[in-house]
Amino acid sequence: MNPDHYSYIDDSPPEAGGDGTLRRTSCSIQPNMSVRGWPTEAGSKALEGFCALEDATVIERLRTAGATIRGSTRMSELGFGLAGDTSARVISGGDVDIALMTDTMGEARVAASEAGAFGFKPSYGLVSRSGLIGLVPSMECHGMVARNPEDIGTVMAVISGCDDHDLSMPEYRVPDFSHSDGSEQSPVVLGAIDQCADTLEPDAMAAFNGTLSKLQEAGMTVRTCSLPDFTLFGTVHNIIGSVEASSSAGKYDGVRYGHRARSAKNWNEMYLKTRAESFGVLLKTYLFQGAYFQFQDYGAFEDACRIRARLVRHTEALFSEADFLVLPTKPPHLTGVDTSTTDEVYDLFSLSLAANVTGLPAIHIPGSVLQDGAGMGLQLIGPRLGDARLLSAAATISHMTGGGK
Amino acid sequence: MDYEAVIGLEIHVQLNSATKMFCDCPNRPGDEPNQNTCPICLWMPGAIPKFSHEVLEKATLAALALNCEIQKENAFDQKVYYYPDLPKGFQLSQSHLPLAKNGWLDIRDDRGRPKRIRIHQVHMEEDVAKLVHETEGRTPISLVDFNRAGTPLVEIVSEPDIRSPHEAMEYIRSLRTQILYVDSAECSMERGTMRVDANISLRPRGSDELNTKVEVKNMNSIHNVGNAIAYEITRQANRLDTGETIVLHTRLWNPDKHITEAMRGKFEGPCVPDPSVPRIAITDTWLDAIRSRLPEMPGKKAERFFTDYGLSRDEAVLMSSERGLSEYFEAVVNRGIPPRLAVHWIATQLLPALKECNEDIGDTPVTPERFSQLLSLLEGDEINANSAKEVLAQLFDGTETPDTIVDKGGFRQVSDSLEIAGMVDRIISENRPAVDDFHNGKTQAMGFLVGRAMQASQGKANPRLIKEILTEKLENT
Repeated sequence: MNPDHYSYIDDSPPEAGGDGTLRRTSCSIQPNMSVRGWPTEAGSKALEGFCALEDATVIERLRTAGATIRGSTRMSELGFGLAGDTSARVISGGDVDIALMTDTMGEARVAASEAGAFGFKPSYGLVSRSGLIGLVPSMECHGMVARNPEDIGTVMAVISGCDDHDLSMPEYRVPDFSHSDGSEQSPVVLGAIDQCADTLEPDAMAAFNGTLSKLQEAGMTVRTCSLPDFTLFGTVHNIIGSVEASSSAGKYDGVRYGHRARSAKNWNEMYLKTRAESFGVLLKTYLFQGAYFQFQDYGAFEDACRIRARLVRHTEALFSEADFLVLPTKPPHLTGVDTSTTDEVYDLFSLSLAANVTGLPAIHIPGSVLQDGAGMGLQLIGPRLGDARLLSAAATISHMTGGGK
Repeated sequence: MDYEAVIGLEIHVQLNSATKMFCDCPNRPGDEPNQNTCPICLWMPGAIPKFSHEVLEKATLAALALNCEIQKENAFDQKVYYYPDLPKGFQLSQSHLPLAKNGWLDIRDDRGRPKRIRIHQVHMEEDVAKLVHETEGRTPISLVDFNRAGTPLVEIVSEPDIRSPHEAMEYIRSLRTQILYVDSAECSMERGTMRVDANISLRPRGSDELNTKVEVKNMNSIHNVGNAIAYEITRQANRLDTGETIVLHTRLWNPDKHITEAMRGKFEGPCVPDPSVPRIAITDTWLDAIRSRLPEMPGKKAERFFTDYGLSRDEAVLMSSERGLSEYFEAVVNRGIPPRLAVHWIATQLLPALKECNEDIGDTPVTPERFSQLLSLLEGDEINANSAKEVLAQLFDGTETPDTIVDKGGFRQVSDSLEIAGMVDRIISENRPAVDDFHNGKTQAMGFLVGRAMQASQGKANPRLIKEILTEKLENT
């Protein structure tokens, strides 16, 4: 384990092995997931020295099933942007089987694309967020980076399902994850979103079409489908995300935990100085933008909410034409190191954040067909709660195209 | 100039649910500081609010009691502001989709005419922490007590239909009665479980414009609300008369000086939908179940008391003004006591006595059963009213039946006509001047003679019989 990748490594002796389904599975988490007594700073000075008081529901379930949690990987401040893709590196380095990371815009998928691994984002509400120190509650969920879909399925089977501590999870039947290895194959219809072309350079689009042809040669049906407002996903995410982030980060005042300014004339000045010293420039820009929409342009926020509802409706309707939507994971040539401004963050995630805006499950599939030099990756988005079938299809595609592992 | 006041009230009522609004902590703000807290109500990172069903039920009952329409869907918003009593930076409240709308309460205006005050909306809101300001040595310090953080409130926003301090006080009293009936809250202004903010503006009488309002806070009794509004009306009228303009701001009522004092400009923070608490859909089945829990409300009950029991309008309203009182009254009547006798004794004897010993009508040792036994003794002429008052006093001290107390204390009334006749003869012979007065047309002499007879019987004689026999004997002498 390379200590540069971790903000905390748990060196306590492993528990006596039970017979849980995850007794041979090791995981890494991020320091924004609560493990009682672990430093939980979420990559921010605002939480400096903070240790979680209780285990997150996900941690509780992982441990009950026998999983070993080896440590927390370094993360960007409160999960905004990507921090050197440490989650992907601990997977490619073989430290752990599953790297859990918060997926708010597509972080797990984009990180996986740079590591030749699978990156998964579950349906919103399928995995409890209780104990997750988040930033954008309506978009974020527990993403995963792994070497194969089976590992993701095994973990999903353990951590999915209703939780008394997270009432935002609707009632539903937990999907059956027993076929995440692709053992159950059925003909698959993929829907390629026409409007993707609007966001990509012609040569990138040509490369991606090459990928689609290869999928067709391998026996998949690929159909073009239309999502006219596709380019609005970014704007909607940007407005709603920053507004929610501004509210969520409101609690970091340095009074009970975290960094606190050394001196101030009164409480108001203490807040201002503390927050000025606590947050990095990138996050500050995002929070400031959110506050702008809250205080100065609430109408724009309302528009964004309305458009979001329409985008969800239109996207879900596409699943009457196709089993899964297919699109690149990220624009060509961009990587996690290119995220020093909010615009750059949104550019990097421009193709992955649709799944977060709509709450649909999505996966990045590594594979030889994608070694086109453009580094765009292949992403599938599934219907709501179609998580298990999505994993199964990802396994099938990866077998067909010789990728993975 | 002749002005008319335009007044709207915003009333915060703390619901009496067992737990807080978004966690399982006890809803007891008065306990030792910071005892009733958990990661959720301390707003620690990673905690997700968990909306309480009981709070929804209590809030819905309160809204129904105020004749509101419960909305099909309600949702929480974040009211964003920064203050040390709210460390998460926003308060969960309902602005865009409130629990209920379009309610009303009927009151009587200054001249006793019925008037309807409309209620704009009723919404749920979490309370914030409490700040305690102290000094440590010579350094002022502020302490935060989170017991109150996250306790459930409903805010009841009236339309600006109120025109006078009297109407405001009537409205608050009526609102309190209604909510107490459904047992959603304690509604004590003195104890802070009901807080009233008044928005007041003036306009020339006869016009229908709405002018800049001033918000007045910090009244800790219904009476103070009346005083503060009266003061504010005069203050604003004086300003307007001297050509000054009213600016939107908040004032505090100073109960010692009996004036309102400017506090701050009114700050309205933004209100954005909260992404963590799910929207709440109200189904018809659920609402019917809650509605079936509504008791007979005071208006209906008063009407029934008026028709069924022959009470006067005022008596019927009095007996239905509190749920516990109305149930006590009916329990007594159901034991065969004539309703008006019951009203008379409850209103003039029982209620003052309860108030004196600070007891609640729901758990006084003077149960409806013992109280009815006492009244049947009175009704059956076994004891007279004077004795009944003494027996009542003793009912507060123990568990003996009124019968036993009457026997032990020798309170039983003398209703033996012969015995009384003998006594009356003695009184007549001992008080010749009064008898002469009576014969000379001074009728008040009768009262004197009855009094002497009662005295002679040590208060035990039946006054009605004394009067009868005395009248008969005097007329025959």
